Amino acid sequence: MIRDVAFGFVYTKKDSLVHRLDARIKLALSAYLIALSLMAGDPFGLLLSAAWIASVALLGKVGRRMGRNLIYATLFSVVIFAVDLLSGYGLVDAAIYAARFEVIVASASAFFLITSPDEFEYVMRWLHLPRDLVFSFVTAVRFVPVLMLDAIQITDSQKSRGLELEKGNPVKRLRSFIPILIPLVIDAVMRSNSLAEAMEVRAYGATDRPTSLYEPKLSRSDWIALALSTVAFSVSTIFIL
Amino acid sequence: MIEFEGVRYVYPNGVEALKGVSLRIGEGELVAMVGPNGAGKTTLIKHMNGLLKPTEGRVRVFGVDTRKASVAELSRRVGIVFQNSDRQLFSETVEEEIRFGLENFGFSKEEAGERVEEMLERFGLEPYRHASPFSLSGGEKKRLCIALVLAWDPDVLVLDEPTVGQDWANKERIRGLIESLLKEGKSVVVSSHDLEFVWSLRPRVLVVSGGRVVMDGRAEEVLSRDGIEEFRLLRPRLLELYMLLKKKPRRPFFEVGELEEWVKAEVGG
Repeated sequence: MIRDVAFGFVYTKKDSLVHRLDARIKLALSAYLIALSLMAGDPFGLLLSAAWIASVALLGKVGRRMGRNLIYATLFSVVIFAVDLLSGYGLVDAAIYAARFEVIVASASAFFLITSPDEFEYVMRWLHLPRDLVFSFVTAVRFVPVLMLDAIQITDSQKSRGLELEKGNPVKRLRSFIPILIPLVIDAVMRSNSLAEAMEVRAYGATDRPTSLYEPKLSRSDWIALALSTVAFSVSTIFIL
Repeated sequence: MIEFEGVRYVYPNGVEALKGVSLRIGEGELVAMVGPNGAGKTTLIKHMNGLLKPTEGRVRVFGVDTRKASVAELSRRVGIVFQNSDRQLFSETVEEEIRFGLENFGFSKEEAGERVEEMLERFGLEPYRHASPFSLSGGEKKRLCIALVLAWDPDVLVLDEPTVGQDWANKERIRGLIESLLKEGKSVVVSSHDLEFVWSLRPRVLVVSGGRVVMDGRAEEVLSRDGIEEFRLLRPRLLELYMLLKKKPRRPFFEVGELEEWVKAEVGG
């Protein structure tokens, strides 16, 4: 489960139209998708947003990964639906809030699935964000799959010591994650310490204005994608509002 | 005892890690698995206590099909010590770390206490009883990881890369431990890149490569074959030396002491 959820937000290298776009266009595209999801207040608006997200996922060939992630997001949607109902919202409103959550998760998933950590870095540097912030964020994103593999290995080790994660009442089940979380956190802290030292010996921080090997440039297809998505977003907004 | 019958395993990302492995590990046997990185050694190990279930074929542990038993049930008889010690430890004290598995397997408080004492003594960890496992040295952590598995007395001990990051003295301790376990009648499976260490154990050697067991036999027979370099294996020095000798003893030297004795006998003094 953890694996499917996490890998729904991890960049997947594919040869697709969407993957070849400049990272700034991908960011704009994702911003449009998230904005549409937030603006959609009725079933029609949500369906329209879902259709856009599905198109991006299909064009980016990441539909399967996103789908697996959404299966688990649905569990949370059900909780949102139930809580809204208990809080006095009507059936339709509760369903809309639950569906909106699903659509927002899907649009965030779409962005992460098609944008590599390196592209994040370009975008954040292009936005002139502080270098330390950019580096911390990009490293955190890059290490998600690594931590996932660590978590799998730790789980295997503890299961081999007789730990049964699926047994017992909910409190016992939650407690049984302690032998997994503690080594995972300690390992992550040790790893980050080693990484900091490795970066330091490679002169990280020696200059405020490091040079860059790559200078991102928008191609013709990027401009076309930006124009098309902006038109589509504007038209959709008119329909939704 | 542990039987693989035509085992094929495909990871969820589509990588075929095992391509039809058939083998049998018997009681009291010492088996070393060697081979290049990514050969499938760890995947094989994870099938031994049901952490992975075969995509095709069957694995039986003491006659039980691993598909029909939980990891906990199988681990009670097949204890695995993984390579990275830091990824196994979490308790506040060394004592509690050893106790954890015993509690999971339902040992009574008294028996668990006795076994913890036994392991602390056997592995020289008594002085660290109340210390945090994370404060131990690399060698001590490795000893603790072996102790916490041996505490529940499994019939088979599987060691994944036991000598990585260990100094000579710790390697000797591990070697001594393996020998004593064999004397107790247990089976030991070692997966390692350290062929010098493996050689000193005189095991049955399985060469794993590309998801297949490509060679299987006594260490002296397998490692003296031509072409083992193809599997990124560097022949142990003592065997290399033995093979270069024109006039040689019947058996190769497994320890420097044996070579020394032979030289003395041949040359005199």
